[in-house]
Formats: sequence, structure tokens, C-alpha cells
Amino acid sequence: MKRSLLTLAATLLVALTAAAQTPAAPAAAPPAAAASAAPAAVPITDADLKGVEAPKAELRAKGDPDGNITGTVADVAVSDAKKGLTISDLVNQVGQNKIGINFVWTLVAGFMVMFMQAGFAIVETGLCRAKNANHTMMMNFMVYGVGMLAYWLIGFALQMGGVGAVGNLGGSPVLNSEFSITLFGKSFGLFGQNGFFLMHNGSYDVAVMVIFLFQMVFMDTALTIVTGSAAERWKYVAFLVSSFVLGAFIYPVFANWAWGGGWLATLGTNFGLGKGYADFAGSGVVHSVGGLTALVLAIIVGPRIGKFDRDGRPHAMPGHDIVLVLTGCFILAFGWFGFNPGSSLGASGSGNLRISSVAVNTMLAGMAGSFGAMFYMWMRYGKPDSSMSGNGLLAGLVAITAPSGFVNPVCSVIIGLIGGVLVCLSVEFVERVMKIDDPVGAISVHGVNGIWGVISVGLFADGKSNYGGSWNGVTGSVTGLFYGDPGQLVAQLMGVSALLGVVFTVAFVANLVIEVLVGQRVSAKAEVEGLDLPEVGAVGYPEFELKASAH
Amino acid sequence: MVYVGLLITLAGFVLSLLSLSLASSTGARMGMVLAGIAISLVGIIGVINQAYVKNAIWKR
Repeated sequence: MKRSLLTLAATLLVALTAAAQTPAAPAAAPPAAAASAAPAAVPITDADLKGVEAPKAELRAKGDPDGNITGTVADVAVSDAKKGLTISDLVNQVGQNKIGINFVWTLVAGFMVMFMQAGFAIVETGLCRAKNANHTMMMNFMVYGVGMLAYWLIGFALQMGGVGAVGNLGGSPVLNSEFSITLFGKSFGLFGQNGFFLMHNGSYDVAVMVIFLFQMVFMDTALTIVTGSAAERWKYVAFLVSSFVLGAFIYPVFANWAWGGGWLATLGTNFGLGKGYADFAGSGVVHSVGGLTALVLAIIVGPRIGKFDRDGRPHAMPGHDIVLVLTGCFILAFGWFGFNPGSSLGASGSGNLRISSVAVNTMLAGMAGSFGAMFYMWMRYGKPDSSMSGNGLLAGLVAITAPSGFVNPVCSVIIGLIGGVLVCLSVEFVERVMKIDDPVGAISVHGVNGIWGVISVGLFADGKSNYGGSWNGVTGSVTGLFYGDPGQLVAQLMGVSALLGVVFTVAFVANLVIEVLVGQRVSAKAEVEGLDLPEVGAVGYPEFELKASAH
Repeated sequence: MVYVGLLITLAGFVLSLLSLSLASSTGARMGMVLAGIAISLVGIIGVINQAYVKNAIWKR
């Protein structure tokens, strides 16, 4: 059984790799005759619009069952009633429609990402023991509020305060102040300075509100990753302070470097490294930042009592509800359709019809990730492990988050498949070699696969995407090593180095300070009895009799 | 040892950053950045984590 599964997996991987690198056939040129036969463009004047009439009132009074007379010239706003409809009115309406489509797209995608908080909450709670259910759920619940407060007060301005005009959302230029230093003769953007409280320096603006909502739910995703690795022994007060610091300072500063016009984004314009660091939806910005901070907390807080014996051998501590876990994975997979396609920040104009490709890449990679993990566990342990299959799905989704906007479907499957196997290998390494206790696998799912996702952009980006003709201010499409641009891989690796060297270090120092000030870990007594009563005052399942146990 | 580990982790990033100034070819830059990542990983896995494992709760 194991051998046949192994052969099947190897054959599939070889076939996919060959298919992914097959050069595409040159696009058929449009027939010259057809082009020359096209009628010459005739300019439209205001006079041409006079004959366009709205449906008669008596017709409207009968209702519109087939939808043919709803949404007509009568719905185009006229700026001057005396002049009637003009070309200027028409063009303004077209512009507003485009921005309206992009607003709605981005907002709805943001609402979907917000709902991922529920997915994370039940995945983590299901993977923890029943005696800690309320505490784990409460952390996942309040991280939403704590993160939002920190981001509204401080984080948003640091991240996006210098991003400049976002064309897809109307090009509002109010977020225009970036703090930069000069290094190696080039400008290095470090953090933004506009947009505090969403009122500062003209940031009370409709486009800024869209950017804030969408970026806020992304930031909160990073924060909620951390609660998983420190679950079942993290002091609630320490969780609140640590989450605030992450949402106000650490996450926004790295996000500024990647998305806010900071120095990683300008590696292309300043140093000729591809199109600069490219992270379409945040494998690095969201998942690696969350996953590395999860590693920081898991190290500082230490393993749960009973996780390792005196010889350092790990013991399984199964979660209490696998139904919650897999349901949560489905909710997360649904939310990911907001996470990745929504990161285009628009559906109309500037190559944004690519959102269909982004959505399909996302679902394919998730599928491949779940298969990768399931087959790995099946071959290694003889059974297709449920929770690891769920983590494989999430690993595939995390890995495709950065490259989803730049790769083709076959490469998406390869990226997801590798992610699914990688999460299993990483969980074993973290537990058996590093002796770190990560109850939900957050470090492996988000930290390790986030980094894999960032690197995979530098390998697999096929140069076919075109978001308005440039990326990070460099003309052309993001193209990885396998499609001819090794410089893009260097830019991606520079991002990985910043994540490991700066984000990890700063998060570690910040949480060491919190350790000194309030302590990070609960008492051994509280841990053994369960954190629900001592930390949040009520048990998760009051009608169940729970046994106090170290295991 | 934890503080030494933090310095090593940060030093890895500094090496990567210096590649932007010290190297001009893509290959040389990639080599320096990969070396920087390796150094940071040594700092995290080999030094900081080991310092905590040495005094882990399960050894007491």
C-alpha cells in the first residue's frame, strides 16, 4: 500500500512539473484583414445623447419582470438639468461604476476574511482539550477587538500611511507620507505617517476606509495565528498585551515594507531585483509574521505539562473535537476566496479580471495540500490522519497566498502539494527535534508554509499576469526563476531574511519584555485543572464532567 | 545565550542587507542572502531554542 501510494505521488509530481514548464503556444495574432476592416472610431458628442430616452413612466408603472427597463439613462446622474445629459456626465458615471465595482469587491472580500476569525477560533478550540475550550475561544474572540483597536490607533498609519494613491480605489492621494532613510545611496521606506485614527491629514476618505477595512482583517488573521501555538498555557493578560503590540507595531511595519511602499517593495526599482518583493495576498506579510510570532511564543511560554517525558519524548495530546476542526478548515477555505482574489483590490480595470485565475489557483492549492498531507500521513503511519489532512489544506492555502496572483494552475497544484507534505515534515521537526509544543501546528502551517509561499513566487511566477502593466513600479509582470528571472527569487529571499532576522527578533524582544512585566505562562495548578475557570471565569462545557489530567 | 542567539539572528539579516551594496551580480547577491538566512536559522533553532530547551519544564 505504502509503495503504491509513493509511486502514485511521485508519478503525479513528475507529470505536473513537466506540464507546468511546457512553454505556452504563441498567442494567435489577430487577422490583419479583420483589423483593417474595423470601422473608424466616431467621436460622440453631447448632441448624440439627446435622443437617448428613459423608459416612459406608464411603462415603468407596469413593473419590470424581465429587467430590461431597470438601469437606464434615467439612472445616470446629470450635473446640470438645463443642459441635460452630457458626455462629461456619462464618463463620470463610467468612472464611478468602475470604482463602485472595486469598492464592493474589496469590501465583500474583506467581510469574508473577517469571517475567517470564526474558522480559526473553532479549529484551535477543537484541537485543544475540553478543559481549555472557553479560554481558547475567548482568546480567538477578543483578538479581533484588540487587534482592531491597535490597528485603528497606530498600525494602519504605520503600514499604509505612505502607500500613495491606490488606482483601483479611485487614486485618493491622502496616504502620502512615508518615513525613509538613505542606505547604499537609495531611499529605504520604513513606515508610514498618515492615517492615525482614520482622521489624520485628510484620511477621513471613502477610499481610505476601504483600504482600512481590508487591511485590518488581514492584520487580525496574523494575530489569531499566535493564539494557537501558545494555547492551553498562555496567561490571558499577556495575550492581550502581546496581541496589541503585534497589531500596532510589528505586523504593520513589515506590511509597510512589502505593501505600503517600503524598502522591500522597492527592491526592483532601487536594485533591479525583479519587480521587488512580491507577496500578492500575504504568505509572508500575514502568515509568516503570525507563524514566526507563534514560534516566539511557543519558545518563551514553553511546552504544556505532560507534552514531553523526562527523556524528551513527545506524547500526543489529542484535541477534544475533530468535527470542529474540520468544519473550521472549511470556513477558512471559504474565507480564502476573499483573502486571495480580494487582494487585487478591484475587479474592474488594470488586469483585475485575473481574479478568476487567483480564485482557481487558491482552491487547487488547498486541494493539493490536503492530498499531500493525507498521503504523507497514510504512508508514514498507516492511516490518513484527519487533523493533519485539515492542516494540509490550510498549508496549501497559506503557500498559494503569495503566488496566487502570479502563477498558473499547474504550478498552484505543485505549490500546494509541496505545502501539504512540508507541514507534516515541519510538525515532526518542531516537535521531535526542536522540542517545541505547538498544539495546533501554527508554526508549521503558517510560518514554514508562509515562507515556502514567498519563495515559490520567485520560482514559479510565469510572467503572464499584468496588473496595469507593472508591479511595484517596475514595468512588466512578476517572473520567477523557472521562467527566466533569478532576480525575483533574490527579492523574495530578501523578504524571507527580513522575516527571520527582523520580525522574529523584534517579536522575541517584545515578548521577553511582556514576560518580565506580567509573565507569559499560567501557574502549573491552573494548567492542570484547565484554564477556563482561573483565566476567564467559566468553563466551556459546564454540564460535562472533565477529569483533571496532565495529559 | 538567548541574547547571543538574538544577535546572531539579526546578524543574518544584516548580511543579507549588505548584499545589496557589496555584490552587484544576481548570483553573488543570492549567495549572500542564502547565507544570511542560514545564519538566522542557526540563531533561532540552534541557539535561542536550545537555551530554552536546556531549562525546559520537562527536565525539572
